[in-house]
Amino acid sequence: MSEGLNQLKHIVVLMMENRSFDHMLGSLSAVDPRIDGVTGQFTNPDTTGAAIKPQPSADFQGQLDPDPDHHFPAVDLQIFGGDPARVANMQGFIKSYFNQRRDVAHSQKIMYYFTQANLPVLTTLALEFAVFNRWFASIPGPTICNRAFAHYGTSFGRVDMNPFDVIEPFKSIYTRLINNAPQHTAKVYYYDTTSSTMEVVNLLQNQPQLFGTYLQFQEDCASGNLPDYSFVEPNYNDHETDSGEEVASDQHPDHDVQAGEQFIAEVYMRIRSNPRLWASTALLVVYDEHGGIFDHVPPPACTPDKFSAPANSTGTGMAFNFDRLGVRVPAILISPWIPKNTVVSDRVFDHASIPATIAKFFSCDDFQISPREAAADVFIEPNSANVDPARNLLSLDVMRNDCPEFSM
Amino acid sequence: MAVIPVPKPSPKAMDPNRPVNALLLAQVEHLQHAERRLPLKYRTEIYTHAIRTEGEAALYIREVTEAIRAAHGDAEANRSKAAQSRKPSPSSTAKRKGLSNKSQKRK
Repeated sequence: MSEGLNQLKHIVVLMMENRSFDHMLGSLSAVDPRIDGVTGQFTNPDTTGAAIKPQPSADFQGQLDPDPDHHFPAVDLQIFGGDPARVANMQGFIKSYFNQRRDVAHSQKIMYYFTQANLPVLTTLALEFAVFNRWFASIPGPTICNRAFAHYGTSFGRVDMNPFDVIEPFKSIYTRLINNAPQHTAKVYYYDTTSSTMEVVNLLQNQPQLFGTYLQFQEDCASGNLPDYSFVEPNYNDHETDSGEEVASDQHPDHDVQAGEQFIAEVYMRIRSNPRLWASTALLVVYDEHGGIFDHVPPPACTPDKFSAPANSTGTGMAFNFDRLGVRVPAILISPWIPKNTVVSDRVFDHASIPATIAKFFSCDDFQISPREAAADVFIEPNSANVDPARNLLSLDVMRNDCPEFSM
Repeated sequence: MAVIPVPKPSPKAMDPNRPVNALLLAQVEHLQHAERRLPLKYRTEIYTHAIRTEGEAALYIREVTEAIRAAHGDAEANRSKAAQSRKPSPSSTAKRKGLSNKSQKRK
């Protein structure tokens, strides 16, 4: 038995937007070589044939404009580099970005990454808790279908941004939790009604009672009334409120990355500031997809889903059977029961790991799940007498008292 | 225990006049899909094809999100009201059982 798993009552997932692993955490390989980040060996060819290396020159805002293409055909080019043999070589990022502005110098900016000093929140959390070297987007495509995997364990055959229908028998992880016996609690916290949610058509439209605001998340943290499972959405747009300006905190290009750093720190500190909640909560910070930005790790093949996307819907002229993951994204699991500086290297995760983990941890076993969710690895082990210590990330016998704090 | 200062974003970060990005346009499209299913009285009069900036998208996103919540809230209130009106009062229960107030008293 693990004391960390015994104590664990709440799981919180914060899903940010559109940044790759190398772009955000790639600098950390210089601090800890176990972290699979940027090295001097990687290059991408630009359209003149020059080999361009990643540079630690990323800016918080104003650099990735236009928004790098990350629809299915563009990501296909980024991963396969246009190679007719279709070897995943990660050589097409500059070519893809060049297609948008046809400016060679500008297209090279897709290789830029942040220094550790630029991202004090994300890099501190990665070094203090568990960082995943192999967490991939679920689909080599855009936001909506990738977020669907976090909610349902499948995108029901979609690789695009269009509204989709939930297809029985698969249910959202929230529906499974609240209809389970014993019943569990679950909530999606969107930032506010002006930011709203990215899961409108099935969840907000039909089950608005599942939703709360970030203000309510703050109150629930303070009062200790956080649900068993919480999914937190950042602010997706700049807007005014009665209390002032709300800057988008999702980190989607061209939104300010520092505003997102502040939001991640906020969510962490809300949990951290309530001692009982801190001891009984695990927080996963993860990005929905790479946003068209360079990463060097080829996404692996995976178990095909029950659904497939026909050739006329992918934009590549080829059908897609959901048998390959998307580009790698940052993912960090946070809990005072995780040893400092944990690096998870030998296991592969994607967003289907989110419902897989939640369902297994809270024993929601009586629901049908997609083949992708069934095959997905879990980032928190179900609490049982025979937990494998080699897989359990909340492995400390005694809770840490040296976890960092952020001041804002 | 380390306390790490978090830098504030630049004052220039805020720009509601920024051209709306593909993600927000998709969100608008999804909300429009939901708005079409709302009763007429909850619908906005915003022409989504004319949305060009993030601020314009934000306004529509707020209006429809609030409308969806209001429509569900009103439906829930009506459901409760209907349930209340169906709930038998003590006197009607007594009548159904053939018991008058007198007989209740006698009992």
